[in-house]
Amino acid sequence: MKRGAALGLRHLAYIAIAFVFVLPLWWAIVSSLRPNSEVFADLFPFTPKALIPVPFSLEAYSGILDQGFGLIIANTLLVAVVTVIAGIVVNGAAGFAFALFDFKGKGLVLAFVIVSFMLPFEAIALPLYSVTLQLGWVDNIAALIVPSVANGLAVFLFYQFFRQVPSDYLEAAQIDGATWFDILWRIYVPLSIPTCISAGLLLFVFQWEAFLWPLLAMPSQQFKVIQVGMAAFQQQYQTFWNQLFAVAVVTALIPIVLLLPLQRYYVQGLSSAGIKG
Amino acid sequence: MTTRRTPVFFAVLCLAPALLGLVVFRLYPIALAVSDSLFNVVRGDTIFVGIGNYLALAADTTFWKSLQVTLWFNLLMNPIQIALALGLALLYVQKFRGITLYRVLFLIPIGVSLPTAVIIWRIMLTPDGLVNGLLNVAGLPAQPWLTSEGLALYSIIAIATWKGISYWMIFIVGGLQNISPEIYDAARIDGARAWQRLVYITVPLLRPTLLFVLVADVSINFLLFAPIFMLTQGGPADSTNVLMYEAYKSGFIFGDMGRAMAIIVVLVLLLLLIVGLQFRLLSRRTEAAS
Repeated sequence: MKRGAALGLRHLAYIAIAFVFVLPLWWAIVSSLRPNSEVFADLFPFTPKALIPVPFSLEAYSGILDQGFGLIIANTLLVAVVTVIAGIVVNGAAGFAFALFDFKGKGLVLAFVIVSFMLPFEAIALPLYSVTLQLGWVDNIAALIVPSVANGLAVFLFYQFFRQVPSDYLEAAQIDGATWFDILWRIYVPLSIPTCISAGLLLFVFQWEAFLWPLLAMPSQQFKVIQVGMAAFQQQYQTFWNQLFAVAVVTALIPIVLLLPLQRYYVQGLSSAGIKG
Repeated sequence: MTTRRTPVFFAVLCLAPALLGLVVFRLYPIALAVSDSLFNVVRGDTIFVGIGNYLALAADTTFWKSLQVTLWFNLLMNPIQIALALGLALLYVQKFRGITLYRVLFLIPIGVSLPTAVIIWRIMLTPDGLVNGLLNVAGLPAQPWLTSEGLALYSIIAIATWKGISYWMIFIVGGLQNISPEIYDAARIDGARAWQRLVYITVPLLRPTLLFVLVADVSINFLLFAPIFMLTQGGPADSTNVLMYEAYKSGFIFGDMGRAMAIIVVLVLLLLLIVGLQFRLLSRRTEAAS
């Protein structure tokens, strides 16, 4: 009897906390499925009806398509996917070299790589604008992609992984006379697929969530990415509540759909960073 | 193994793109911030002013007010986030039937970007929004969450905390899983209560993880931008005007890049100072404890 009560209490506590996390997203989903005039219905006085999508309407979603959010999402996916592919190649190669080769000053260079990811991107966003100005990349999509490709955390993830690959593989390949490129491509790359996924997810989420940088680098907003497009939409159409919710829901759902099945890799990538620190 | 020779050309080929990228887009901007902060642009001409921009900041009441807001904001938000993330992590690692569902729900805010969280919460916090509706059920009066000088900063802290703690929880969960269960078993046999196990075993053994989370959390929150840009633009009455926003306003609204860069340099130096202090204070205590 007493145990049952304790069990019930425990579930109650977990439900209360989960409720705080779920409620905003749930209300956003529900409200995005209502006509705009009904978003604030049932709140004063509050009735549980506020938390079900009745009356039901998809007008918000067709509305955001008319506002050009299809293109904005495609833009963001383009930026993110190119960054992920280039990032895996560039950072993977660097991680490989750090793990397998010794050279003078390696410790120092590696320390620089690690420090570079401890300093948040926001700290350099404003001066990075000056760099972009010097390169003539303002309002150019290159400004969104190129500075984000080299990533200290991704280099570090690959370095950590490649370092623990047994050297037997390497020695056998060298006896067979394989070139270094073959060794990297045929042996190390296939082994490192989980690390590629971890690093790829980190880069994808970084680009999907980028806000300050695209805001600065694309002043004319000819090429919009999702977070900035959403913020601009919010400022312009303060009272299109259901469409704002629809944009927020789509913006949240795309990475969630990607992260849910690959959650393990993402968490692994993050916690490797934590262990080092 | 030891006789392996470094193929120089191949190694350089592997390292060059990443290192070049980090130097041009991470290291060089820092140098540029320092040098740009020593210049002013007057009618299209760039003039060297030395430490003029820094002297101007020292005499600038807006800057000092903004610094004060930044420090207060961080002094509140970081301990709150870490305490809540620790609590959440302790709940996350419990084992009982049905925990898997709760775990997934705890992780939801990780998939939600900060601007998305801001949009949803802004509508939740409007005068006739969901939060005031729920307050009304409890018999409490509606609050002007984002438009009052006294509340706006705390609303922003709440939103950033809602979004942030699941993320920090992941690191702490990783740390908790590294603590061997035998230590807890031994403590239980010795009759240690749950809170004693937390204070005397979990927290000391978790210290390296907590230090990492603290440093990383402070670094992010010190430079927090999106919620202020989207919700209050520093207002009302500069009550949410953190230095990061003040720098943005200076450079990209008023076109005063020299002042903007000087603020960024001060902000990053301050951050380094705080992080350095945290390392000294917290890692020393680890030595003493062990």
